Amino acid sequence: MTKSWKSIFARHETVLFIVLVLEVILFNIIGRKFLTGDNVANIVRQSVEIGLLALVMTPIILTGGIDLSVGSLMGLCAVAFGVLWKDAGLSPWLAALGAVGVGALGGGVNALLITRLGLPPLIVTLGTFSLFRGLAEAFTGGTKAYTGFPDSFLALGNGFALGVPVQAWVLAAVALSMWLLVHRTTFGRAFRALGFAPEGARYAGIPVERRQALAYTLAGAVAGLASVVFISRVTEARASAGVGYELAAITAVVLGGTSIFGGIGTIHGTLLGVAAVAVLGNGLSRILSISSISRELSGMLTGALLLLALAAGALTKTLSERRARRQSLPTTKPQPSTP
Amino acid sequence: MKRILTITLAASIALFSGCDKKADTASSGGKKLLIGLLPKSKGNQYFATVEQGAKLAAKELGAELLFDGPTNTDAAKQNEIVENWITQEVDVIAAAAENKDGLSSALKKAQAKGIKVVTYDSDANADARSFFVNQATAQGIGEVLMDTAAQLCGEEGEFAIITATLTAANMNEWRKHIEARLAAKYPKMKLVDTKPCDDQKDKAQQEATNLLSAYPNVKCIMAICSPAVPGAAEAVKQAGKTGAIKVLGLGLPSENKAYVKEGVTQAVILWKVEDLGYLAIQAAAATVKGTLKAGDKTFKAGKLGDLEVVGSDILLGKPFVFTKENIDQFNF
Repeated sequence: MTKSWKSIFARHETVLFIVLVLEVILFNIIGRKFLTGDNVANIVRQSVEIGLLALVMTPIILTGGIDLSVGSLMGLCAVAFGVLWKDAGLSPWLAALGAVGVGALGGGVNALLITRLGLPPLIVTLGTFSLFRGLAEAFTGGTKAYTGFPDSFLALGNGFALGVPVQAWVLAAVALSMWLLVHRTTFGRAFRALGFAPEGARYAGIPVERRQALAYTLAGAVAGLASVVFISRVTEARASAGVGYELAAITAVVLGGTSIFGGIGTIHGTLLGVAAVAVLGNGLSRILSISSISRELSGMLTGALLLLALAAGALTKTLSERRARRQSLPTTKPQPSTP
Repeated sequence: MKRILTITLAASIALFSGCDKKADTASSGGKKLLIGLLPKSKGNQYFATVEQGAKLAAKELGAELLFDGPTNTDAAKQNEIVENWITQEVDVIAAAAENKDGLSSALKKAQAKGIKVVTYDSDANADARSFFVNQATAQGIGEVLMDTAAQLCGEEGEFAIITATLTAANMNEWRKHIEARLAAKYPKMKLVDTKPCDDQKDKAQQEATNLLSAYPNVKCIMAICSPAVPGAAEAVKQAGKTGAIKVLGLGLPSENKAYVKEGVTQAVILWKVEDLGYLAIQAAAATVKGTLKAGDKTFKAGKLGDLEVVGSDILLGKPFVFTKENIDQFNF
């Protein structure tokens, strides 16, 4: 019994969940109108786009890769959406489909460069990070904004469905799909195997390139979806959509317990990571005495939290390895925790 | 092992249900006016100065002030801040719009919840706010620029203008008023040329150098976009014409302080940014109290006295002229 208690507490997701609960308790005490239905809806609304990106970033980081281009791709998809809707005269929903298509295409470009040319994901997506944003700005001169969308479309970002913000359903659907993909299919196992040992994965008969390509293309398509949700929420499509979102998403993923070296990580961990950051930012802005520096403070604390989580993870790993050695048991790579 | 999760969940549910009551008592306990002040961006001396003025006004009015804005160019941040303020049930929001249409949708949501909205510095759509605190009209800017130039030149001689681009709408509006004032009041002065500098200091410097050689009789250079003021000053300084050729323009005092003190630039023209913040808060509070309402022709704004209201624009008044004598008192 004690052992299983310990193993639960040693689990990263549990610790993060406790941190989240502590945040909620703290902000409920010292924050202004923190735990109200409206504000909870606000927190959800404002974290859906980053949540979507973080969900699809998880398998990429599991493979030991990274995608720095998803935020910029959101900008490009936003412009594509605007052009398709305003200039081509499509309905917003068809334009949304187009934006997702453009996103998949952008992700496909990343996938192609990474798998066919064997270039490191960091470098490839650093390149497309500039390329996608640059294209978006070139199309619009950097300043043009598309506005005046019909209310039926704006409901996606601002309305409620069954008592929760509409876009929460989008996030839930993607989260469920990603959870099944990563934790219940052979794809998920392939992602982790790739992260642990790419060559080993290849010898084990895993189609390495195809799995990588899937992860990056999926990330692109979901970046397109995120841009649609974003446009609907801020009622405006412009090239600056999603600036800095890639880093916010990566932060959430790593905070959620996914190893940046690949191999270890969970989808529910990522969701907890997204929530912990979102609640922190929102809560700090509700403390009257520090509201004017809350944004800077939340950046600092997010960074501290991230480093703390990483340090704690590294520490428990060393401790358990030392204990294992002392008991002269054969050390094995930590197994990815399955829920 | 699942018990822990159950316990924490139960605890948080208990918290959730207990919270609403507490929030209510908190709000009914404090009668202080809560004002949200939204800048275009934070970490910018201009808006930091706005905040200083705003704090002063809030202190005078006994109001609580929330000051928050984006730290980068993320178009959505202004909306998120407004939405967070809505759920904090602020009484009134004073906003400077970065993206007019995008922010207007959030401001309208605030209005729908009974929160008053005023804008300052840069306006949102007219139906998304009650009043716009207008720091300077095009006419005010044009006339003060022309009057100051005339004064510096002794009301006669040639002068040239450096602008950002020949198509910039606001600057063309100012130029229209400069030229109208010139025609009406200063018959002995002549505008010889107007050059664009693409809002770049080095280009402005180059254009000013060209102007000096092309028109040797020019007595004064008027720079109407902010990078052009130090640009023109540098050109005059390098030409060895410090004091002989006057430089004036529209810009931040802090960017021009060195040239003003050296005597290269004689006058920098801008509104008092601190007063803008002060007025924004005074106006915001007055819309809540009902002392400022649609149709009013004047507004009594604390230490600023009676200010003119035109339509739904509250006018801060004529721009201020910063010179060698007073520039040290300002830090924006």
